[in-house]
Amino acid sequence: MPAGAGIGLRAQHHVEILRELPKVSWFEAHSENYFADGGAHVDALERIRGHYPLSLHGVGLSLGSTDPLDVQHLAKLRRVIERYEPALVSEHLSWSSLGGRFANDLLPLPYTEEALRHAAARIANVQDALGRQILLENVSSYLQYSCSEMPEWVFTAGVASAAGCGILLDLNNIYVAACNHGFDALQYLNAMPVRAVQEFHLAGHSRVEINGCELLIDTHGEPVCEAVWDLYQAALQRFGDLPTLIEWDTQIPALGVLMAEAAKADQLRERIHAVAA
Amino acid sequence: MPSLHRLQAHMMQALLDGESESEAASMRLVTGGIAPLERLAVYRNNIEINFAASLRASFPAIWRLVGEDYFLQCARQFQRSQPSRSGDLQHVGAGFSEYLAALHADDEFRYLGDVARLEWLCQGSLLAANHAPLDLQKLAGVAASQYDTLSFRLHPTARLFVSDYPCLNIWEANAHETSATDEVIELGVGAERVLIYRNQLQLQFYRLSIGELGFLRAVEAGAGFASAIEAGGACDVKFDAGSVLQRLVAMQVIVDC
Repeated sequence: MPAGAGIGLRAQHHVEILRELPKVSWFEAHSENYFADGGAHVDALERIRGHYPLSLHGVGLSLGSTDPLDVQHLAKLRRVIERYEPALVSEHLSWSSLGGRFANDLLPLPYTEEALRHAAARIANVQDALGRQILLENVSSYLQYSCSEMPEWVFTAGVASAAGCGILLDLNNIYVAACNHGFDALQYLNAMPVRAVQEFHLAGHSRVEINGCELLIDTHGEPVCEAVWDLYQAALQRFGDLPTLIEWDTQIPALGVLMAEAAKADQLRERIHAVAA
Repeated sequence: MPSLHRLQAHMMQALLDGESESEAASMRLVTGGIAPLERLAVYRNNIEINFAASLRASFPAIWRLVGEDYFLQCARQFQRSQPSRSGDLQHVGAGFSEYLAALHADDEFRYLGDVARLEWLCQGSLLAANHAPLDLQKLAGVAASQYDTLSFRLHPTARLFVSDYPCLNIWEANAHETSATDEVIELGVGAERVLIYRNQLQLQFYRLSIGELGFLRAVEAGAGFASAIEAGGACDVKFDAGSVLQRLVAMQVIVDC
């Protein structure tokens, strides 16, 4: 996977990408969007893969759930990995299901020894089933459990270390959680094991006011904010020149807007690492 | 301290069953300015938005027929009764047509369930596997005396749809942003029989005669060539097996022999 900035692949852009073959370093696709047996999306990704490096990013494996691992979902993930041969495969350090019912949202785990051991064992099982290492992404959160025994950064690093997986560091999610829960985003960054981090995510968030208190929501519907660009520069310095992804999921703009965000990330990479974009 | 499993059970009940107050207390969430119930509401809102958005993507004509407010209300009620059972949201619409049909069984919107059923079949067709066309050379090599042993199957993208209402007309007038919405569709025009299939990644519709429907239903059920023709003829005395087969093979709706 090239270190240049990639773009989150969205179906709205399939036709334009295949027609124009724009200068984009790589694309990241949501794994579940290509689980189908056939059809236009599956076909488009096959052709896009012929022109660009690819990362597959899952949102539905519910890694932290105490339900049994969904073996059907895992089999479909394995099939898309075989079909598209991605350079990177990632999932989230969160849970979204219980008793067979799915919230289809990235719910935070309590930061306890029990949850750490549970998530790490599940991730190790997933890696065994897929026959490859996966990257684990930190999520945004809007609540905290009083039973947590450690800060989120200790939990994330601990899970990755125990599972032997890599880390996909989402800098917007760190920033959102830091603002919502009142910790220093740099403290999180500095607690991450350098060798485990293999990819960065950048995205926008929105702000809501609830009873006079501000809460940041990870909407992926805005440009990356200045504070997150600052955090990205700190991350480039600490972890090196790694593949960086621009994510946009709501009110998806023209491809050119995403490419401009990717170009901005590339400029920062060049400035810090003096490499050709 | 609640175990991870108990904590997740409380959280899921709070988010999906609306039992926030007691469950939030059991979870012992950190307060910090914003109350636990408000924090849970942020997640519940996200969960409902994601579910409704996926449902909307599968049922564009229903969305336009009933309008945003009613669609979102139906989506919330449907999610409460039939929550997602998969990490892949593309499955959440599976029971939506039955839900709408039951909801409007006795009123002037009784066709909504059938339109939803048509839309769900369309989604199934759009996401189904590709398949090679029928090997005509192989077919030509079969002796006439062996025709009775031939069997075909429907292409993986083919779906059969029957309704008492003109659902395809309704769908065509409402499925797309550019669809004409001022067309008056008479509900009482009679039963509709439609073959849905995919060609070059595009959804296709073909209105079936009653004989063609009988033939394709038999093929779908795994019947051999001779039995399927018999089934077509039983539905329609004018059923012409040769021309029907030629048409369906040309449309690549019949595969494998």
